[in-house]
Order: sequence, then C-alpha cells, then structure tokens
Amino acid sequence: MSDNTYANPQVLVSTDWVAQHLDDPTVRIVESDEDVLLYDIGHVPGAVKIDWHTDLNDPIVRDYLDADHFSALLQAKGIAEDTTVVFYGDKNNWWACYALWVFKLFDFKDVRIMNGGRKKWIDEGRELSKVVPSYPKTTYRAPSRDDRRIRAFRSDVEAHITKKLPLVDVRSPGEYSGQLLHMADYPQEGALRGGHIPGAKNIPWGKAVAEDGTFRSAAELQELYGSQGITPDKDIVAYCRIGERSSHTWFVLTYLLGYPNVRNYDGSWTEWGNLVGAPIEK
Amino acid sequence: MLTRQEQLEFIIDHYENPRHKHPLANADAMVEGGNPGCGDIVKVYLKIEDGRIIASFEGEGCTISQASASFLMDEINGKTLTEALAIDHNELMDNLGKEIVQQRTRCATLSLDTFRAAVRKREREQLMANS
Repeated sequence: MSDNTYANPQVLVSTDWVAQHLDDPTVRIVESDEDVLLYDIGHVPGAVKIDWHTDLNDPIVRDYLDADHFSALLQAKGIAEDTTVVFYGDKNNWWACYALWVFKLFDFKDVRIMNGGRKKWIDEGRELSKVVPSYPKTTYRAPSRDDRRIRAFRSDVEAHITKKLPLVDVRSPGEYSGQLLHMADYPQEGALRGGHIPGAKNIPWGKAVAEDGTFRSAAELQELYGSQGITPDKDIVAYCRIGERSSHTWFVLTYLLGYPNVRNYDGSWTEWGNLVGAPIEK
Repeated sequence: MLTRQEQLEFIIDHYENPRHKHPLANADAMVEGGNPGCGDIVKVYLKIEDGRIIASFEGEGCTISQASASFLMDEINGKTLTEALAIDHNELMDNLGKEIVQQRTRCATLSLDTFRAAVRKREREQLMANS
C-alpha cells in the first residue's frame, strides 16, 4: 500500500458518487444516525433509514438481531445479496460505521461509507427529501451471524490483557483518564467507575477525521496508529462506551489501512466499567 | 390520540418552526442547560408579570432537545409558576410522543430541567434582593 492510497479504496464513496447513483437499482443508500429524527427532517433522496437502536439490536437481550430478523430487515428495505449498500449518517458517520459493522457480522458482501456523511452532503447544498421510499421486498437470506472474526467479548478482552495484546480506547481523554464517567450528555450510558482497560492506548476516534468530516489520508492514519504501536501485524481490539465510536475506528483500521485482525468490543466501557472485579487503570 | 407519524410531524414542526425562540429582554432569570461540549444546549429566559409566566429560549442541538424546548415554552407561557411546575418529565415525554423520544430522555427533558433551574435561580435572586 502506498502512503496515499487506502487499502480498500472502494469502501469509501464520495457525495458526488452517491449523487450519481441515486436512481441506481443496484445501490441502496442507508441513513443511520445518532439523532433519531434527522432522517425524517430530510434525507438523501431515495435513502432508507436503519435505526441502530430499534433495527439492529435485540429488544430484550443486549445483543444484535439474529439471522432471521436481519433477513427480514434487509428484505423490507429492498436489499438483496448483490445490492451495494452505502451508509451515511450524522456524527461523522459513527452509526453508519456501526451499521456497516453489524452488516459484516452477517458477512454482507458490498458495504460502503459515504465519506463526510450527512453533514458534507448538506454543506454542499445537495437535495434532501422527506419522501420515505419503498422498494420491492427481496428474498435476501442471511447466514448465521459470525461473532468470531470482528467482534470481541469480555473473555476476549481478558485474554488480551493477559497476553499484553493491543487494546485501543477511542473515547475522549477525559473518559479514558476517568475524569468523566460518561461521554458529555450521555449520562444514561455511563459506568460506575471511570478509567480504561489496563494497557489500552488512547487514540480518540476523532483524530481519524478531517475538519470537513472526511477521513484523513492513508499516510496520516498510518502515522496516527503506527506511532502508538497499533500496527497491522497485531491482533487489535477497539472499544468505546457502547461500540459506536469504536466501529468507526474498526472501519478505519480494517478497510482504510487494511489491518487483518481488528475486533470491536461492543460491550465496551458500559460493560467493563460496571463489571464486578474487572481491573481498570486511570 | 395521534398516530406515530402525526406525533413525528408535530415534533419536527416544533424543531423547524420553533415557538418563543428568542432572547427575552429584562428577564428575571436566565439559565443555560446542557453541556456545551456535546451539542445540546437550551438557554431559558424567565419573567413573571402579573403572576403569569413569560418565557423564551435559545438553543442548538438535536431535534428532540430543541423541539422539546419549543413545545415547553408554548405550554408554560401564560401559566402560573404553580401550574408550570406541575409538569413533570413523564407528562412532557407523553406530549412529545414517548415512543419517539424514549431513546433520548435526557434530550427530551433538558428544557424542563433548565426551566426548573431558572425558577430556582429567580427565587434565589429575589430572596437575596429582599434580604
């Protein structure tokens, strides 16, 4: 990989590309936001909404939906096995990356991110629509969810600590140091203790994006992570508070830098920081 | 009873066409709620004239926090403090549409908490002025 080329450049599409494919039946544009009403205020014409909370999570167990429910979701959104799915959203694509990560738990083939997200689309003065589209139901059938490759659980993190393997805490320095028990204004997603998982490096997710919300260059990303010892030869686990910001970092490491072994610990600090007997550092 | 879609349109209308969104000259109290680091900010201005509330707000942030502030200002203007303070979190969320706002209860109730803080600030300042 040259310094100026992403390892998998096809996973990022520009706002121009999206504008040129709004009527492409092989492409489905998906908005996934933190602010749950943004889609209703206006979205990329033809885009469907996937709500990270109500669509991707099991309503009872803290876990993701199973293959049957994932199949039903994609069928209803008009997504087939061979559809190119392009995600975008607010907050620099946090939830877009999170949705992409969940799609990859089901090994969905062609998923991409609109670089710059919702903000860039709006900043460029592009059209927004309030029309909620409907597409013909597909016959998509998902395979069983595979949690082994890109998802880390508590036991995996414990093993990582024992083996002194790299953990990346992508939260803010205040959360990492324990000064904050939760991200600003997210008190319902806090933890009993503040700090970080022993040995974790603090590389806030936001360092991977430029001021216009697009991802930094490959060279800048290599320097950002490489300088902290987060290199492609290692088995890496990223975490934040519930796995949304670390999905963003997982996307950067896996697709933009091509690291082969990166997992997202979605239990994150809301699990670890509340766990009886779990070691922490401040 | 409004359908989910009607409730959604009600919230979006308050977000896009906010009521009482302006500074209030000669307010008895002004309080800023939220966290400037996160994006949800609601500043409430409060004045009592002839025993009735005159209130307004300024703010920025997510759809729910700003729509909630607009709706609350509509609700409390013209009421007495006793009537306005009887509004609780549940009532506010019910009026906004609990099914829609329940994922973001903090955003939905930021305006009410900020209004209550403005009432307390006004009372404190009046006590100090009279002591």
